[in-house]
Amino acid sequence: MLTVPIFACLIGASAGAAFTFIPRIRSIAPRALGWLLAIAPGTAFVAIASQFPRVVEGEALTWRTPWLPALGIEFAFYLDGLSALFGLIVTGIGALVLIYAGYYFTPKHAESGAELLGDASAAVHASHSSTDARFFLYVLLFMTSMLGLVLAGDVITLFLFWEGTSITSFLLIAYKTKDEEARSGAFKALFVTGGGGIALLAGLLFASAISGSTDLTAILRNGDALRSDAWYPVMLGLIAFGAFTKSAQAPFHFWLPGAMTAPTPASAYLHSATMVKAGIYLMARLHPALGNTPMWFWLLIVTGGATMLVGAIIGLRQSDLKSILAYSTVSQLGALMMLTGEEAPSAFKALAIGVLAHALYKGALFMIVGIVDHETGVRDLRRLGNLWRAMPWTFLVCGIAALSMAGLPPLFGFLAKETLLAAGLEDALPLLTRIVLPTITVLTGALMLAQAASLTLDTFVTRPGAGWPASRLGTDDARDKPDLHAHEAPAGMLLGPALLAGLSLAISVLQPEAIVSLLAGAATAAYGAKVKVSLALFHGINLPLILSSIAITLGVVSFALRSPIRGIPGAAALNMNLLYDRVLRGLDGAAGIATRTQAGRIRAYLAVILTALFALVIVFGELWRVFDGAVLPDASRRLLDEPFGLQSALRAFGLLLAVAASFVSIVIRRDLLAIIALGSSGLAVAVVIALEPSPDVALVQAVVDTLTLVVLVLALSRLPRAQRERAEGLNGGDGQKRNALLAVAGGAMVTVLCLYAFASRPRASLVTPYYEQNAKPLTGAADIVGAIVVDFRGFDTMIEITVFSMAGIGVFSLLRYAMKKRETEHLPAQGEVELKVKDRQSWLMPATIRGIDGVRTSPFVRALGYVALPLAFVLAIVQMVYGHDQPGDGFTAGVTLSLGVGFWYVVFGYDEAKRHLRFLRPGLLIGVGILTVMAGSTAPVFLGGGFFSPFDFSAALGLPLPEGFYISTSFLFELAIALVVLGAVIFIIDTLGHPERDLE
Amino acid sequence: MMSSSLAILPIVIPLTAAAAALLLRRNFRLQAAWAFGAMLTALAASAYLLWTVWSTGRPVIYQMGQWPAPFGITIAADLLSATMGAMVQLVFAFGFIYALGAKDKAVRHPTFYPLFLCLVAGLTGGMLTGDIFNLFVMVELIVISGTVLTAMSDDRYGPEAAYKYFLISTVASFSLLFGIGCLYISYGTLNMADLAARIAADQAPALLPAAIVFLAVTFMIKSAVVPFHFWQPDFHTASPTPVSAMLSSVVVKIGVYGFLRMTTLLTPHADWLRALLVALGIVGIVFGGLGAAGTHNAKRMFAYSTLAQIGFIHVGVGWGTPLSLTAAIVFTFNHALIKSTLLMLSGYLASRAPVKTASFSVLRGTGKYAPLAGVLFFVGGMALAGIPPTNGFISKLTLFESGVQAARSGSVNGTLAYWAPLLLLGVSSIITLVYVFRALMKIWWEPFKPDAPEAKVKPSGDSLLAPSLMIAACIALGIWAQPLLQLAQDASEWIRQPQAYVQAVLGERTGRLK
Repeated sequence: MLTVPIFACLIGASAGAAFTFIPRIRSIAPRALGWLLAIAPGTAFVAIASQFPRVVEGEALTWRTPWLPALGIEFAFYLDGLSALFGLIVTGIGALVLIYAGYYFTPKHAESGAELLGDASAAVHASHSSTDARFFLYVLLFMTSMLGLVLAGDVITLFLFWEGTSITSFLLIAYKTKDEEARSGAFKALFVTGGGGIALLAGLLFASAISGSTDLTAILRNGDALRSDAWYPVMLGLIAFGAFTKSAQAPFHFWLPGAMTAPTPASAYLHSATMVKAGIYLMARLHPALGNTPMWFWLLIVTGGATMLVGAIIGLRQSDLKSILAYSTVSQLGALMMLTGEEAPSAFKALAIGVLAHALYKGALFMIVGIVDHETGVRDLRRLGNLWRAMPWTFLVCGIAALSMAGLPPLFGFLAKETLLAAGLEDALPLLTRIVLPTITVLTGALMLAQAASLTLDTFVTRPGAGWPASRLGTDDARDKPDLHAHEAPAGMLLGPALLAGLSLAISVLQPEAIVSLLAGAATAAYGAKVKVSLALFHGINLPLILSSIAITLGVVSFALRSPIRGIPGAAALNMNLLYDRVLRGLDGAAGIATRTQAGRIRAYLAVILTALFALVIVFGELWRVFDGAVLPDASRRLLDEPFGLQSALRAFGLLLAVAASFVSIVIRRDLLAIIALGSSGLAVAVVIALEPSPDVALVQAVVDTLTLVVLVLALSRLPRAQRERAEGLNGGDGQKRNALLAVAGGAMVTVLCLYAFASRPRASLVTPYYEQNAKPLTGAADIVGAIVVDFRGFDTMIEITVFSMAGIGVFSLLRYAMKKRETEHLPAQGEVELKVKDRQSWLMPATIRGIDGVRTSPFVRALGYVALPLAFVLAIVQMVYGHDQPGDGFTAGVTLSLGVGFWYVVFGYDEAKRHLRFLRPGLLIGVGILTVMAGSTAPVFLGGGFFSPFDFSAALGLPLPEGFYISTSFLFELAIALVVLGAVIFIIDTLGHPERDLE
Repeated sequence: MMSSSLAILPIVIPLTAAAAALLLRRNFRLQAAWAFGAMLTALAASAYLLWTVWSTGRPVIYQMGQWPAPFGITIAADLLSATMGAMVQLVFAFGFIYALGAKDKAVRHPTFYPLFLCLVAGLTGGMLTGDIFNLFVMVELIVISGTVLTAMSDDRYGPEAAYKYFLISTVASFSLLFGIGCLYISYGTLNMADLAARIAADQAPALLPAAIVFLAVTFMIKSAVVPFHFWQPDFHTASPTPVSAMLSSVVVKIGVYGFLRMTTLLTPHADWLRALLVALGIVGIVFGGLGAAGTHNAKRMFAYSTLAQIGFIHVGVGWGTPLSLTAAIVFTFNHALIKSTLLMLSGYLASRAPVKTASFSVLRGTGKYAPLAGVLFFVGGMALAGIPPTNGFISKLTLFESGVQAARSGSVNGTLAYWAPLLLLGVSSIITLVYVFRALMKIWWEPFKPDAPEAKVKPSGDSLLAPSLMIAACIALGIWAQPLLQLAQDASEWIRQPQAYVQAVLGERTGRLK
């Protein structure tokens, strides 16, 4: 039963969505749509009302279902007196607002809200009704959220719906999306309430962590534990922050006037009757658990009292009808928050009465303002006047509602003010508050009366411009143009406000038992103990009555003096909008600083990253231990113990050569020479490795080094000579010292690592013995490196050859396809700050390469070329076949082949080489290569082995093959590696050697 | 036999398909269809793998070449790896759908799909592997395919961004290699389970702290932790939309995965690492949020936002409580979906814009012509900001819950490490709100006023199928969140018992080599 209201609203929302998004049915007239959709909240209203008898007796209905058992969170609803009061307001006023909105959106000027959040219909010049369906969708979504919020039985459920109201409110405020003010108002509201929402979530999580459950009843039961917890102040602060932002309490009240850009039906509903009371509801809801502490008392009293006064003072100065109502709403919300803070049954009685009274009269007044706006197109009090003749019924309804707002008997608003005063005079309160609170209340009451009077009389009775000092009347104000072409509103439009205003009168006059028990139930639930409510208007001459008459007198005086009061210059200090702007500006400033760090200089990036790396190594890496352990002595002893012989001399020579060549490559200016120096450094390293002795690795190092050299030379030859010469002339620019420092740091770090590695030499690998024992028997390879590469860790090799081939493909894709399309204009470096790059030109050079550095090749070199390639093939095949057993492997084979091919490109030039080597198609080579590995390594799976198991096919088939040659998985692997490497390198060489002309 | 080889299928399928796709490069449509089919097959395999692991409660271990661990390469799918792998492939499947409907020139390139498949193979491999050197080669595969894919981009900054990424990734590779070297010198093994057992038994080796630093730096570069993030905003902005949607959502998660493994399996003793993660996570949250708020390009905004979101995840990993690890995993999964969707939407807008760019100055007001994208963007933005009923809320809720519970466990002063991050999490959630909804207002709500009067929004752009499906998934996972939460909770349960993982990989060999 409890889910019925929510589902009713959800169904309504779905219907709204259907009307919004399905073109066929969205042409329905808004009036009909309003009436139709009002069925949803109407049903919900009846559903809640039907539970009324049980709720009034203090029974709480609950409905729950597990939602996130992993976090112990349920999806639950809860209906008691307090929920029922709010639920009835939400659904009741909701139904009226929907009907009202149908009329509001009907006529001529309704086109203001044009752009649907992403409704294409705008582009297809939609009819008004179709865009307005969006309004109904948002309102219904809001209604569901709001109803869910007040019926939530689990704090997380409550939070879900709480955020829903923020989001739908955002959409409604920004309804007129083209309007800059609407957008900024919506954003402001979202910023403030969204921020509050996050605080609320944290606060609620703290509350549930303390009480051990997110269940509302559990939290309400654990009040003592909550209040005595060390985190109580934090928790209460967070929750109160959420409530204050939502309920527009000072100093967060500033979003509410900005929210008035929403269509008036939405303002009437969200920003006076329901959503802004969510904070009040929350605090009242949690009062039994969190209340009754000094912090609670002072926090709420001070905030509420201040809000009440501030709202009332600012409100009187407003000229826009909706702004007046917005600020008086702020004031009233302050009063309600204050009441929640006062620890007395009378306060909660006043709270329940105040909530209902305010919802009734403020809802009515907003709708009236909407009618005035709708009929005249004017909302400015300075231009309105004399409307009572044209709109008598509207005037009457407005008068009743305004009397209630003013707090005059016999209306419900009078009762609200009386009880508010009485609560402030409660003996239980500290003396100070017993003086201050009634004073504030009287002042506020007086200002409210003045505003209510001004709202009604200045709109309907006095001439335009009355009640305003000359300083506040702009030149464009139509004082002399009283003719506003006003008409009486349609009856359906007046239905909502009339009903609400009528209720304001009827409740206090007739004092129906149902309402009394409803209010009592709500007050009891919020207070946590029985509260008696009576709606008697007259209790004899007592202090509240006297204060009330003082307030009325003061109110009449300030209404009479409204013109001079409005002439007083406003105090800018109270303007929280300035602070909000400053916060946003500060955020943007900080954001600007953050993005400026991303300036696009790769050198700076690398410097920061390397510095951070070194810093972490220094702080946490504990490499300093190299100095106090046995590492240094150990290493030096080992060095000295080394017997001096030819091998050590060669080793030392190789190392010296490597270091010297590296150094030369840094200091030398000519790029080609630098590259060659770098290459010789690599070859020297290969020598050192070969002496280790580890011929396999040395061979790979040597061929890879050579290949790198060839590719670099080819790439260099594609750069324009002028650019190369300019680059050679550069001094390295600024940051040279920094770079040197980083290089030294890196070198030092690696040296220390090497020392450690050297010192821990006897601690041999734990896996090596296994490889040594099993390489030959299990894989058939005498060479451990070969066995590791293609057998033990074949999978690594496979991925690495894929990487290699993707690199080749990358070079090819980039230079052949992507660069082809690229403009050759000067591009600034990428980043937030656009740098000026003067010396960047196209990489592409309009010349086919032929010979090194453009030098023509001699016949001798050509002859060498003819010999080299076939030789490379022979070498490669030998390496592939015997590589598993001997030094050399598929990789070396592939590189050897590629070197031969590369040599041809250099010697014969692109065209000739390409013509002769037509059969070498790199894509095919790579694809076939990788697929061969895959096939070779998958085959054993079906032959009793596993993926990447070694398997000798020739032995299995009994093929007679020469000694040392097997057709095995390792052979296939070596073959594949060679193919892939060859393919990738051909991609690179082919691309780099490709003449420019084809690209045009 | 067959069941354990399930562990390698998610890697082997895309890898083989990539090679075959290379052979199909003359026929683009066939190649695209082939690649997509392979992706779906791989996804099915990884989903089945996840299901197998989860339902049997035992990791699926595959020893490559049937070499006993730790001598060969082990592929080990425990619940964390399987979850991550399935996540990666799920998001990539959407990425393929987007790519199939994309109008980029780069996507039509004959080497696009092979590279894209290699990217997913490398990423999945990195998450499934149980061998630290194999992790290195997988990372290399990610780097090279990512670099080339970005360099091919239609965006003229593609090559430059790729170059930066490649250089910085080289630093990461060196760092990883140093780290592996240090571990190998100290413990003589490369198998992660074996390493974990040996490290747990003996923390004396002098190079262990340095190894941790090197591994941590690698993963920080990979997951773009400030100040190792510099490659990220450029790279994720410039790459072709389907690729950038993958890079910013799942590819950065290799670093997250690495930290999850480090803090639980390899080096759970390194408390400083966890503290560092929380601290740098916070820095990332603030910096990323500010960067996103300050930038003028939709794609770049979401790239920056990744810095912040990864920061949230790292805070969760750093806290290291059972619930915060759960939160980190949930966050990782949900963020992958959300971020790729939002980047796809930005790419979609760019494809419709008069000039192909995601810059706000061009996109301003163009949303009027893209209503569906507006609704998707709105929901996606809510998800990113953690507003219910989206999956982003579930992530935020779980993370907040874990922080609150941890904070509550001590005195107010003693739990600074919990509530100070919590506070900043809150602040940065508001910043998220600011940049997402500002972007929304700029693109959809402000009037369309192009600089050049003749500029027109293109009548059609990339397909919105993938983002629509993903937004539906975001909402579904926001409402029906229990399965994912349960999965993450179980996974965090698993990783907090590293002995079980070690046992599963090494079998009875555990003690033999000591």
